[in-house]
Amino acid sequence: MNRRLVLFCVACALLLGCAPFVGTTVVTPSDGFVFWFLRVPRVAVGAMVGAVLALVGAVFQLVFANPLATPSTIGTTAGATLGALAALVAGVPALAGGIPLVTLFAFAGALGTSFLVAAVAARGLASMHDVLLAGIAASLGATAVATGLQYAADMQALFAVTQWSLGHLSQVGYRGVLLLLPFTAITILLLFSLTRALQTLAGGDDLAAAQGVKVRSVRTVALGTGALGVAACVAWCGPIAFVGLIVPHITRLLFGPTARRLLPLSALAGSAFLVACDALARVVLPGRELPVGVLTAALGAPALVGLLARRRHPGQ
Amino acid sequence: MTRLVMQDVAVERPSRAILSGITLTLNTGEMVALLGPNGAGKTTLIRAALGLERPTRGEVHLGNRDVGHLAPRERAALVAWLPQVRTAVNDVPAVELVAAARYRFRESHPRALQAARAALAQVDAEHLAERPADALSGGERQRVAIAALLAQEAPLLLLDEPANHLDPAQQLAAYQLIGKLWQRGAGILCVTHDVNLLASLPNPSRIRVLGLADGRLRFDLPYPSDELPPALSQLFGVSVRTVDTPSHRAIVTEPARTNGSTTPSTADTR
Repeated sequence: MNRRLVLFCVACALLLGCAPFVGTTVVTPSDGFVFWFLRVPRVAVGAMVGAVLALVGAVFQLVFANPLATPSTIGTTAGATLGALAALVAGVPALAGGIPLVTLFAFAGALGTSFLVAAVAARGLASMHDVLLAGIAASLGATAVATGLQYAADMQALFAVTQWSLGHLSQVGYRGVLLLLPFTAITILLLFSLTRALQTLAGGDDLAAAQGVKVRSVRTVALGTGALGVAACVAWCGPIAFVGLIVPHITRLLFGPTARRLLPLSALAGSAFLVACDALARVVLPGRELPVGVLTAALGAPALVGLLARRRHPGQ
Repeated sequence: MTRLVMQDVAVERPSRAILSGITLTLNTGEMVALLGPNGAGKTTLIRAALGLERPTRGEVHLGNRDVGHLAPRERAALVAWLPQVRTAVNDVPAVELVAAARYRFRESHPRALQAARAALAQVDAEHLAERPADALSGGERQRVAIAALLAQEAPLLLLDEPANHLDPAQQLAAYQLIGKLWQRGAGILCVTHDVNLLASLPNPSRIRVLGLADGRLRFDLPYPSDELPPALSQLFGVSVRTVDTPSHRAIVTEPARTNGSTTPSTADTR
């Protein structure tokens, strides 16, 4: 197990370290602009987004005690899409006075929807099944409004929305890094600080409460913090599918369900996975870039299915 | 000395009262068995004692403080709970499950694991430490759950049917462990359906038996008492009689007569 752990960490570090050098043209730090102002910030954003999505996925799967929970379970992605669409349809300029307005709208939509759902959990009368249902309802509601809005949109806005909804990491300079850094740091630190409470919570709500866990506040903090981090990521990069669902499961299959290992390793694996997928997206089609969400799903899904199949037959 | 006091506690739902007028005390070093038919309110009583259920009337005090005013960690330092045996919720190793029960201690993970291993050793379950919780048998799971109870290091223990779903050997084993906890000075409230298992505890003459039916306490008797068999008969609505075995006086249920009579029969109809 420990050798596997070291190998895994080294592999993740290698992927993260090599990614800036991969592209249609292999660049080195001496190339200056392309390396330092395109590749490095892009890898940094990918690493942060991957870590947040995978960590929040792992935490939500624990909090909901449901293997199908994802960072978007509480409506984050649908809310962000609605926000971005509203901004694009209203003709809000993408940038105003240095403030990325569409991103801001997406962020507001994501937070609004997911805090609404987190508030259901905070009231404490609802079971987590109810919260899950509230999340699905909020997602469906936001999607319905977004669909309605699309009829009011012109072709240009529609194209922008479609592009946004595929998920992307491409960017120039360090603005994204600086914008995402505080959210990433808060999310990771707060969620890591809940590790022990989440592990105790996995034994059941009432038992955890009897063992000293403030069940409702742990849950509210986990959902709220997760929503905050994911809202920032989705607003900046669009919805990137599957990272938050698949990476925690793969980590869990490799290193077991103990939260103390699952959370940090999911975060590490998530950043390496997303950065690697993004590097591949730059080279897989010559002359054009594949949306990174396509690759995360195309690579992650078979990996998970393969690991699940192997677990079924441990003797082989 | 830590004490649990329930004073005139009622738990009411809009449609009906689940508990009413419950008054009882549990001190460290005491063993109280709580018996009653299904739906009598036994589990609700335990939940109220743990502060998981807010009483609609009356008060629950733990160590002289209202249980509702205690922070979860303070409460966990006074009272621990063994829920009913159920299917395991996840596949974490047993030792992590036991370590998780030490949440109330602000300690490092290695220290929690060390204490968890010590607790497992005390219930002769060291060999289960690395086994996933969902791969344990019912008896093994109960052993691990009792280790978790130990690991929490609370002076009062509330046990909800600790022998439920276990085979006879495992039932005895579970009660032997409970006897050990009692001998070390814990105050124990134990919900059970099988009054005879109490005989396997180390000092049966010091056990109190409480009867609960329809949310009310019906009796509070010492375990070895001539009044207990008729009281149980009334509590469960079945006829019972006592059978003296070399080790103890067993209370057995008699098969119901087809005519619905509840008079005890003297002959074994099997």
